[in-house]
Amino acid sequence: MSVADLPRKEVNELKGHEGAVLAARFNSDGNYCLSCGKDRTIRLWNPYRGIHIKTYKSHGREVRDVHVTLDNSKLCSCGGDRQIFYWDVATGRVIRKFRGHDSEVNAVKFNEHASIVVSAGYDQSLRAWDCRSHSTEPIQIIDTFSDSVMSVCLTKTEIIGGSVDGTVRTFDIRVGREISDDLGQPVNCISMSNDGNCILASCLDSTLRLLDRSTGELLQEYKGHTCKSFKLDCCLTNTDAHVTCGSEDGFIYFWDLVDASVASRFRAHSSVVTSVSYHPSESCMISSSVDGTIRVWKS
Amino acid sequence: MESDDDDYVFFGTPIEREEEITSRKKKAVAEASGHLRTLPVWKQEVRDEEGRRRFHGAFTGGFSAGYYNTAGSKEGWAPQSFTSSRKNRAGVKQQSILNFLDDDEKAELEGQFLGTSSQFDTFGFTAAEIARKQAEKEQQKRPSIIPGPAPDELVLPATESVGVKLLLKMGWRRGRSIKDSHESALYDARRKARRAFLAFSMDDPEVQTTDSEPMKADAHNLLEQTANDDLSFSKSTPVYILNPKQDLYGLGFDPYKNAPEFREKKRLRTSSKSGSGYGKGFSMKDSLFGSKSGKVAPGFGIGALEELDDEDVDVFAGHEYEDAYFHEVEEPSKLEEKKKVNQKNLGNLPGFRVASNSDCQMERFEVPVIPKDFVPCHTFSGPLEMNRRHYDVPPPEVPPPEDVNLKILIEGVANLVARCGKLFEDLSREKNQSNPLFNFLSGGAGHDYYARKLWEARQKRNDQIKQPLDGRGLSAAGAQKLTAENRGQILGEKPLERSSQDPTPPVASNVQLQFNLTDTFTKPASFNELPELEKPFKDDPAKQERFEMFLKEKYEGGLRSTSSSLAGNMSEAARARERLDFEAAADAIQKGKCGKGSKLSNPSFVDFASAGSLQFTSGGVEPKKDLQTEDSLAKKIQPKREEFQWRPSPLLCKRFDLIDPYMGKPPPAPRIRSKIDSLIFTSDSVKDARIEEPVNAKKNISCVPQFENDDATKKVAKDETEVEVEVENVERPVDLYKAIFSDDSDDEGEESNVIKEDNQEKKAEVANTALSRLIAGDFLESLGKELGLEVPPDMPYPAPKSRDPGPLKETCNENTRNDIPNIRSNGEVSLNQHAQDYAVGISERGYGNMLESGSSKAKGSNTAEGMSSKFIRETDDRDGSSSSEEERIRKRTAHECKSNMFHGEKDDGRKIKAPSTRRHDYSGSSSSEEERSRKHSKHRRLKRRHDSGSDSSSDDDPDSYRSRSKRKNKGSSREKGRSRKHSKHHDRRNRDSPSRSSRHKKEKDHADDRREKKRRE
Repeated sequence: MSVADLPRKEVNELKGHEGAVLAARFNSDGNYCLSCGKDRTIRLWNPYRGIHIKTYKSHGREVRDVHVTLDNSKLCSCGGDRQIFYWDVATGRVIRKFRGHDSEVNAVKFNEHASIVVSAGYDQSLRAWDCRSHSTEPIQIIDTFSDSVMSVCLTKTEIIGGSVDGTVRTFDIRVGREISDDLGQPVNCISMSNDGNCILASCLDSTLRLLDRSTGELLQEYKGHTCKSFKLDCCLTNTDAHVTCGSEDGFIYFWDLVDASVASRFRAHSSVVTSVSYHPSESCMISSSVDGTIRVWKS
Repeated sequence: MESDDDDYVFFGTPIEREEEITSRKKKAVAEASGHLRTLPVWKQEVRDEEGRRRFHGAFTGGFSAGYYNTAGSKEGWAPQSFTSSRKNRAGVKQQSILNFLDDDEKAELEGQFLGTSSQFDTFGFTAAEIARKQAEKEQQKRPSIIPGPAPDELVLPATESVGVKLLLKMGWRRGRSIKDSHESALYDARRKARRAFLAFSMDDPEVQTTDSEPMKADAHNLLEQTANDDLSFSKSTPVYILNPKQDLYGLGFDPYKNAPEFREKKRLRTSSKSGSGYGKGFSMKDSLFGSKSGKVAPGFGIGALEELDDEDVDVFAGHEYEDAYFHEVEEPSKLEEKKKVNQKNLGNLPGFRVASNSDCQMERFEVPVIPKDFVPCHTFSGPLEMNRRHYDVPPPEVPPPEDVNLKILIEGVANLVARCGKLFEDLSREKNQSNPLFNFLSGGAGHDYYARKLWEARQKRNDQIKQPLDGRGLSAAGAQKLTAENRGQILGEKPLERSSQDPTPPVASNVQLQFNLTDTFTKPASFNELPELEKPFKDDPAKQERFEMFLKEKYEGGLRSTSSSLAGNMSEAARARERLDFEAAADAIQKGKCGKGSKLSNPSFVDFASAGSLQFTSGGVEPKKDLQTEDSLAKKIQPKREEFQWRPSPLLCKRFDLIDPYMGKPPPAPRIRSKIDSLIFTSDSVKDARIEEPVNAKKNISCVPQFENDDATKKVAKDETEVEVEVENVERPVDLYKAIFSDDSDDEGEESNVIKEDNQEKKAEVANTALSRLIAGDFLESLGKELGLEVPPDMPYPAPKSRDPGPLKETCNENTRNDIPNIRSNGEVSLNQHAQDYAVGISERGYGNMLESGSSKAKGSNTAEGMSSKFIRETDDRDGSSSSEEERIRKRTAHECKSNMFHGEKDDGRKIKAPSTRRHDYSGSSSSEEERSRKHSKHRRLKRRHDSGSDSSSDDDPDSYRSRSKRKNKGSSREKGRSRKHSKHHDRRNRDSPSRSSRHKKEKDHADDRREKKRRE
């Protein structure tokens, strides 16, 4: 994929959030996208037609993260109200609320079968919640982190969490082993490469770090953007050829994965770009910003 | 946490309390009156007696009617009551509309309510039954929109025509003929007409066709006037089949009424297209009307008794059927389409279609590609090779030919042949047929030797090929391929060379065998590289050679060639000196190697340690590493990887569809508790120490080679256990403790004191008995309190303890310290005795009162001990993992006692020194928590260093103290982490995060200072 194919042309602007949008996520097939923000709502969009489909309201405070199951039937979201909400997509009703985090919940993810919700909280813990039973207690609390856990990723067998204590910890359920990679810098966001071999960690020293998952080796560092005080999402493109991340000055950066050069940068928003999400198969991207807009980008 | 009600769904109406209703009423009244007074007329709202608004205004709903705008009543709708008793059975009650109508509605309905009653129908039920059956039969032949038989509730066949009813009224009964035998033909005709009329009159206006076949038959029968009209009549009951209306015309409209030929066409078309008979009924009708009613005007029927006249002919009918026809043309195609669609969606629920891509996809794995040259037949390579090798009878050994050139040649050729194969041999034989040198190839001189050499070369080649294989898959293939050679290689044996190589005759083999044996034991593989790496006497090769020889002698077994003429020309004294040199060098090398070895074995240590969240790291290398990482922190950070054990919950594994890796294994033991238990019960067990011993012993031997006696090692090992216990002790949240007992200065002093004291060498046995004694006293005291017994009033120990433990501790320490000589005096007594003495010693000092009373009450120390230990466990249970203050103090005292005991027992000389160091420690106090904890560790380490330095006169044991320091560091870093964050979760028991701090250097400096001080003392 050449630089020209990078999604730099704005196709749509999704307006509707009143206040900062904290996260924007494609669904698994990339046909829809979800956003959540400070206005305590989660919104479902068709990014290609620019249509706002549905609003999910129930959170008492800002919504920080949202994730949708593979079959698009359920949502989970979390936020400042210390709860994880488990939604039915079609009806917009809250099926369940998981309470237990002692403070704000930063990130939330479903597992592959949508049977587990794993949440990462400011209370230095990862918690796994059961969607299948009616139990309100978490199945497991992982509290080996020594600072706020900012981000969580799930594979088929592992739970990976990134924390402000500078570690990316991989909890291998199959082996029963915790592997901690200490990056030395507060980790803001982690995201998996599409081949599952690497982890991209956004650190608060304005650096993205690419780690080899099997060895823990630091493969590459990507610099140039500003990320010092906000939780900015980063991700890899669908082909794993580039790394992208928003910046606190409203720019979006693309780096070449291998040689870490800035492949492209352009002004995307008037304010902090909080989140970027890449289409799973096409060259298309959405970005959300503190300015309250979500923008859809195509090449 | 607040409870949200919207999680729950309520069914039914909640029961309202009486007072609620009344209060609402009151409120309504009050409101109404208030409104009435204040509001103008047009704004006033009328409410009923219960405060509800019933009048909404003309445009917003008018009056609300009924009961809350429903048809219900105040009593609500009640289902029919259930009655069951033997006498009064609940009959099947038919509910009719009347059950649900109000009285006024019933009154309204009165008069226009028509109903049939079957009470006069004597045989009606049979007729109905027959009719229904016939209808069902007909139904199957006839297509309709609703597939399957039409529900009976919707389509009820007429049981009886009006005519039959009339006949029945007139006295006719079934099975009887209506007409008399002498009836006239005219009467017949009339009857026929009437019947036809009846048939039509029964025809529902919606239904255009009737099945008139039976009628026709009937007519025939009538015409024939057969005798068996009973029979014909009985079967004459017509069944009127309701054909569904499938067209878009108005009711009763028949587009082909005047154009039967089109109807016929259409019928043909539809039947040819759809295949199924579509309009049999039409054709029947045709037959009925077609002949005469070609031009009957639509909409007007003719009477059954009227003849079709000219006036009935519709003059306007002509223009109509054309567009009707065209209209008709479209319809079948539509139907066709529908049918097609239906067929396409066959197997699906209506309204759904098959998804093009399903979300749930099974993960399929490709069948592995079989390589082209794969032969599906397994060859057992190992045994076969072995066969070849071992059952190949080696050619007999032959002394090499005298000619050296020939020998070399033979050997060379043999090697080549072994490498290149038999072909080469043949080739060279042909080529060199004339050359006498190559006679050995063709059975000439030296052929035997050649054969032997060839065999050897082949063997060697086989070995070479096999070697990498063995190296790689020793576990897999090694088992079956472990030959003598392999084993020898693994064990570092050198195969016994046959004497054949030697030109000397076999007579001398005895000597040679011995010589060979010296070489039989080569160095073990692990030791191989070392002498090469370490060449302390590089400048003097001869000496180096001798040194290597020495090493060989020292570390390798086997017989030695005594001659070793290398140092032959040296004097005895010089040799002795050199030997000493060599010893030293060897030691140095060995030490270096051990350091390396322990470094290598580090990861495994970490693994082992992570289970118990302890971390051992070898000494010497660590501080540098830390410094390095600190440096690199500034430049480029290489992520540090650590591995821990982590236990996923079984449910989590289940949800992830994985097998629980810890399935069947017991849950991890709670950490602190087990430690305390071990603390208490170590008194009779050196086993605990022994568990640690292998590790420690190894360390000791490797790193401190001059550990003279077993005692020392054992002691260090014991230290190790002590260390662990202490770590546990310190791990408890110090800030929590401080938060509760915020007496800073005392705290400070006490804390450091305790820790320093901990560092003294101690013996677990004695200390524990002492501890249990103390606790026993405590326990008994509390017991006494409970029982209302007299408790010694002047007890300094338990009362102020919980509030202000510092000073007390001091006194305690002082006491114990002073008592030490007593104990020392009888050092060789058994442990129990020892403890007794100790207790006595204490009692003399002041708070032995309590102890004495305690022991007297408990009748003997043994029971007291048992109880005390129990007590400890109890408190432990109560406190859970977070340490209770009391217990901690108790433990500390225990440690102090222990340490003091140890002092007393072990080293008298040092006792004088102890106070001074203690004083030093007191001085060191700082305010910040972190600082303090760091200092603790430091103190301890220093103390330890100091002690061990003084008491075993050997080098410090770096490993053990390192491990502790590491541990300590971890603790402090955790402290740091916590203080960096919001200080919310003090009582949480995080696993220790890896420490990034490195203060070793500083500490080392401190240690040096201390040494200096000591020396000065």
